[in-house]
Amino acid sequence: MNQVEHSGWEHEHIHSERTQFVEVLKHRLGDSPDIIYRDIAYRNNTVLIVYVEGMSDPKSLIDGMLENLDAADSSGEESPEQAYERLKKQGITMGRVRDTDHYTELISALLAGGSIIFVEGHSICLLVGTESLKQRGVEEASSQSVVRGPREGFTESLRNNTALVRRRIQSPMVRIEQRRLGEQTRTNIAIMYMEGMADKDVLNELRTRLDQAQLSSVLESSYIEEMIQDRRYSPFPTIFNSERPDVIASAILEGRVAILMEGTPFVLIVPSLFVQAFQSSEDYYQRADFASLVRLLRYFCFVLALLTPSFYIAITTFHQEMIPTNLLISLIGQREGVPFPAFVEALIMEITFEILREAGIRLPKSIGQSVSIVGTLVIGQAAVDAGLVSAAMVIVVAITAIANFALPAFNLGISVRMLRFLLMAIAASFGLYGIMISLITIALHLCSLQSLGVPYMSSLAPLKRNSQKDTLLRLSQRMVKKHFREN
Amino acid sequence: MLRTKQKVSHISFLLLLAILLAILPGCWSKKELNELAIVMAMGIDYDESDYEVSIQVMKSSEIGKSEGRAAGGAPVITYKTVGKTIPEALQRMLSVAPRVPYLSHVRVLIFGESLARSGVSDALDFLSRNQQLRTDFFMLVSKGGKAAEILDVVTSFENIPANSLYSSILLSEKKWAVTSRVTLQQFITQMERQGSNPVLPGVQVVGNKEKGESPDNKKRVVPITLLKHVGLAVFNRDRLVGWLGEPLSKSTNYALNEVNTTSGYIEGPEGGIVGFEVRRTKSDIKVKLGEDNIPEFTVKMTMETDLNSVQSTVDLQKSDTVEWINRKIEQKVDNYVTRDLRIIQEKYGTDVFGFGEALHRKYPKLWKKLRNHWDEQFKQCKITVKSKVAVRRIGSIVQPVKREMKEQ
Repeated sequence: MNQVEHSGWEHEHIHSERTQFVEVLKHRLGDSPDIIYRDIAYRNNTVLIVYVEGMSDPKSLIDGMLENLDAADSSGEESPEQAYERLKKQGITMGRVRDTDHYTELISALLAGGSIIFVEGHSICLLVGTESLKQRGVEEASSQSVVRGPREGFTESLRNNTALVRRRIQSPMVRIEQRRLGEQTRTNIAIMYMEGMADKDVLNELRTRLDQAQLSSVLESSYIEEMIQDRRYSPFPTIFNSERPDVIASAILEGRVAILMEGTPFVLIVPSLFVQAFQSSEDYYQRADFASLVRLLRYFCFVLALLTPSFYIAITTFHQEMIPTNLLISLIGQREGVPFPAFVEALIMEITFEILREAGIRLPKSIGQSVSIVGTLVIGQAAVDAGLVSAAMVIVVAITAIANFALPAFNLGISVRMLRFLLMAIAASFGLYGIMISLITIALHLCSLQSLGVPYMSSLAPLKRNSQKDTLLRLSQRMVKKHFREN
Repeated sequence: MLRTKQKVSHISFLLLLAILLAILPGCWSKKELNELAIVMAMGIDYDESDYEVSIQVMKSSEIGKSEGRAAGGAPVITYKTVGKTIPEALQRMLSVAPRVPYLSHVRVLIFGESLARSGVSDALDFLSRNQQLRTDFFMLVSKGGKAAEILDVVTSFENIPANSLYSSILLSEKKWAVTSRVTLQQFITQMERQGSNPVLPGVQVVGNKEKGESPDNKKRVVPITLLKHVGLAVFNRDRLVGWLGEPLSKSTNYALNEVNTTSGYIEGPEGGIVGFEVRRTKSDIKVKLGEDNIPEFTVKMTMETDLNSVQSTVDLQKSDTVEWINRKIEQKVDNYVTRDLRIIQEKYGTDVFGFGEALHRKYPKLWKKLRNHWDEQFKQCKITVKSKVAVRRIGSIVQPVKREMKEQ
């Protein structure tokens, strides 16, 4: 486009001429068929309604206007200004109504699903909130299901999501701050917290980071996560997410800050701590004693998922003296005839499993099952029968995989998966010594991490004794006091 | 931007370091399971001036697979070589064996009798110096033969003969009281410490030695060849000086507080036999100084017993009878153990009971005077045994069947 030629269309102030007005809009938005320009005769004036079909529902707006037209006394002619004022005061039943005289503001409201009312001859437009995006209803959260507990999950609508949280915390202290992010997508994001509970420093830090985030598009909350996380090069997630309103509500009640976004059901929680990855919302809906045991089991699963293959490799290739003799006899019998070193054997099985898992995610549910059958039967049984891998290795890989799935935080599971391969390689070259060094390194790294300025390993390192009531164990509600704000 | 660039180079440097670390030192001590010859048992014989070492190696192709896949061969292989030193013989093993012998899982170590008689200390030096060997294997002496003969026998119950020996030592030590289990650590402590001498359990091949080498031996209901535990070998320092038969071994174990359970019998008051099972024993050595400062030893024992077979017509409903049985068992134990200890004392003159050790603890000053000629001194010491027996249970029935039968 030639700037000089169309310099008139760069004009910011709204024209009062209908043709000019429409021309500017069409130039800026392109002549898209989903943008509807609807003229309505309103007494002696012409009113133009502009909206994006599918994103807004102007039916009730138009109905209301026409009804008002009928009801009002038809007392002669009106100036455009008078018509505009009357429309605004009497003719519109919608809650959110706003004046504007700028094209940019007008267009962003239009693209967000609002309707524009333009009265010919008047250079101020009325923006009416008629957003009515066709959206998914509230369904069960599929990524974090529970046996006992609320079934609701977030949807893709920001407003709906904030409402789901607000319904759970009907406190006047709940605050929502909204802003737009993404130069192209102009996505609405909201941060939600409890005034007085949320840490001021965390909030300020979050605001600065969001301000500094330069994104051209934001399609999922992971875009934001990537921009605001503390350390880019860490395998561990320092920002957790959830698609369950009850989880977010409890996080907010603990003084955390939730970041909600238009277009995704996954809501971010900051600051996030390592121990949080082992807490499932269901812990609080089950008996405390049982929940504590299950939580301990999850920590055990974390260790299993991280270490089983590397431990097996280290022990069978370097430290055979550590294996009880009878177990060694059985292992050695199984390994007889296996053509690969233990490390390669483990790598083959682990990678096979990762392939199966990746394939299983993408496939439709009906085919997914056949993939798992192929995976277990063909790869597992046949590989053992053919003597390519030993049966013990299949067990090792299987227990690793299952333990990985037992972690409630999916993104921590991903870090474990990555580190597992690293540890396997180290175990294959240094044995248990290498594993110990790696574990120390991982522990040091974890202790150095921060989430929005809060130490990631909080309440474990440094150990705070009175904060242990909800970390490794979950003690009953009576014994647990809110202690998050100690930080 | 500059910062990220620095960071990237920082990280790639670390990555490079990690890769170099993995590649350069490599995996020099790595050994895959199927590159090892797991030595399950080791036999050491002395042949003129050379060590004859035999190892029983697990044949992994025959083990751990389902029945149908095994080729039906022997589950172990025994290799034999000679060398000036034991490690040299083990090295020479590679001339016949395709894999490196791995010693960490040795379960039993067998000395040939001739080696045991000429002294095992040189062999012990290797055994305790070697890093691979754990010290928890059991040591045995092959009675009247070579250690290699023991390793040649195929056993029926356990696939691996070494495992069979291992578990039978564990069991017979617990239930029979005639053998004992001695680990390297124990043996060396008892040998090096003044005032005690070690014992080792003995083992012997019973039956045809040639036929016992074939897996056919385990296909038979009545095996042609068996391995049998035969009492204890008495050592004086590192040399074998003699063998104890079943009763002497048992008495020795009583004195050593090594008896867990065993069984015995006494004559009943009205004839017949009353059998009992020893359930719990505890023995303690007491030292006392007699005339001329000659130490006197008393072995105090407490035993709990159950009656397990009453082949007599005694009236067990009377508490007097049970009391009588208690006294009778005490008498028998006192007599037998005293007699047996005296035999060992006089015949072999070696203190395998640790009496010297007890003396050392109680009278350290006297011990200093005696310790250099303790073996001679030991022969002159008076040893008495005092036991206290209590019958705890008489079983599911009260009166002996024989008595019930008579009364009707």
